[in-house]
Amino acid sequence: MSVDVSPTPQSLLVCDRSSFLDQKNRLNSQVEQLRFNYKVSLLLPECGSAPSHLDSVLNSFSSFCVIRNLPIYELLDRHFLESAVYHGSVYGLSYGTRMDEDNCVALMPNGRLSLSLDKDSYELLGLQGKPSRFNHRTRIRFVVSIDLTDSNMAPGGQGYLRLLTGLKSRLQLQTDFLLSHHPGGIPSLQPLLSRFEWSEHKPKVVHRSLTDLACPVLTSDQWSCDPHSFLEWLGAVDADISSENSSSTFLSSWVCPEPQRPVSQALSVSVCGLLLPQDLHRLTQALRGYLEQPRLESWASMTVHGFVDSVVSWGENEHRVHRGGHNFYTLLMFHNHMYHLHLASEAKDSCPP
Amino acid sequence: MVRVKSRYLLCEVNVSDRSSLLLLDDRAVAATVKSVVARTHGDYGAAMCTIGFSVKYLNAHTGIVLLRFPKRCYRLLWSALPFITSIETRGQKIPCFLNCLHVGGTIRTCQKFLIRYNTQQLHRMLPRCKNEEEKQQIRKAILSCSLTIGKREAFEDEAESEEDEDE
Amino acid sequence: MKPAEKEEESVYKRVVLKNASPYQYMKICLVLEDESTRLSAVELKLFIISGLRNLYGEVGAALNFDLLKYDEDTLTAFLRVTSRGLVKLWSSLTLLGSYQNQACAFRVLQVSSFLLSLTGNSRDLQLD
Repeated sequence: MSVDVSPTPQSLLVCDRSSFLDQKNRLNSQVEQLRFNYKVSLLLPECGSAPSHLDSVLNSFSSFCVIRNLPIYELLDRHFLESAVYHGSVYGLSYGTRMDEDNCVALMPNGRLSLSLDKDSYELLGLQGKPSRFNHRTRIRFVVSIDLTDSNMAPGGQGYLRLLTGLKSRLQLQTDFLLSHHPGGIPSLQPLLSRFEWSEHKPKVVHRSLTDLACPVLTSDQWSCDPHSFLEWLGAVDADISSENSSSTFLSSWVCPEPQRPVSQALSVSVCGLLLPQDLHRLTQALRGYLEQPRLESWASMTVHGFVDSVVSWGENEHRVHRGGHNFYTLLMFHNHMYHLHLASEAKDSCPP
Repeated sequence: MVRVKSRYLLCEVNVSDRSSLLLLDDRAVAATVKSVVARTHGDYGAAMCTIGFSVKYLNAHTGIVLLRFPKRCYRLLWSALPFITSIETRGQKIPCFLNCLHVGGTIRTCQKFLIRYNTQQLHRMLPRCKNEEEKQQIRKAILSCSLTIGKREAFEDEAESEEDEDE
Repeated sequence: MKPAEKEEESVYKRVVLKNASPYQYMKICLVLEDESTRLSAVELKLFIISGLRNLYGEVGAALNFDLLKYDEDTLTAFLRVTSRGLVKLWSSLTLLGSYQNQACAFRVLQVSSFLLSLTGNSRDLQLD
């Protein structure tokens, strides 16, 4: 068989333009759809050091914990359900497991437990699930999604016992687990944590000052810069890639998209860890406050990366890792309350909201 | 049953000295095509060229070559043909280039095209004869020959060489 | 109020771009048999071009790709290639097996349509 050596790989990018003042703007609902966030990076042009209120928001991100070798059935523990799952929202994600190789587990804030299992594990578990959307010809992967807040799933209920025996005596799934709770934080997870080896982590904040940056001219009223080249530029700034090239440079011909203007200094801040959408929402508000003061450059950008190996991507849509499994969004905010939102995901994943 | 599909490329070999055409053979042409494909498209192209590629027909008098390529990759292999600058045969290097006249799905359509093409060429060149005598000679020659393709081409060859003289 | 509202509505715009990314980005790492060997960025690019030439000939060697960033200590590089050239580049990286008579291999760590996602890969998360 011959192979076509020049097919176009698939990607999906949704670009939204709206205003914070618009009553119908869907920013919050869109942003909350990405539950498991790994990294947020800010780019503030013409800014030497972050203003204090922004800094305080960045440093007050809720901490999360890692539990080593957590048997998944422990998530069904009665005390844990009562103290954490039924009250507030729990964000839990298996850590160190890969979507394309291993069994993955996610506990979503709405009380859903989602398991992405290979065929053998699925058959061992013996619970009804759905074959993954991304199976090709042979069904090798299955998704089991259970609503823990359902009456059938209340401790002692029929469905609860079936799931418990499935996870306890048949499948015996054990993984490292990332866990966070809103609004209670670590204390409300205590019933579960006390029985295992765990460690608390604070999201790691990294500040980076950039000088003499070539920067595309961005205006709020239209796509002044092609979304792909803008995201490329943002990525290059993030990865610290030099743009001092010309079309004849041997190594790289990448340049800042035109029209461009020099920016004498900029601040890039990134935060890594299991980040909650609520914290990101606070950060968005802080950035809006930051933009209200008059500045040389009237925009700021915020990029949020989702976990590659999370079972769900946007909302409760199934996620997969085929060639990267990226899902992220970039929020470009302007002085006049306008914003551009770019949502990206791997094609064939469902479209972002 | 599913047929193995191929594409046949009808090419003419253009050389400066027509007598050197007689030195050509299938194997030399095949080897040249293979090496030039390997040069322009690398191992990938060379692998494409191993199965289903052959020189189906070569007329050393007229320099007509019929190349067979697998259908799925004939465009790739075709793109390498302009890079042929010489064919090496019997220890000699014949500078030449290949001019593709027709691409067909079967040998039959290629043959039909070749007959039509040669007739056209003949009609184009007859008016350029220098005098009536020459014309008569050619007519006589065509009429006297039996209608095997090889011979007919041989006469057209004559006509073509006349053209060469004209120019 | 009404005209104002209309104006606000007209502000909203949504565009969906499917498979429109002009470039693909790769994060690769070169693993050499002799770990003390050092490569400069130019040598690395030449090496990759030689791989392209072997597999796809002169036409393949003419493929445009950019070495965006290269770390000499870890031999890790970011490549940018046009979307149509990705398979060619990737396959020739895979088939590159020796550098100056020593065995070597390219590990493709991540491939994405967005340069941004190369800097935010959650698989890099190390917690201890």
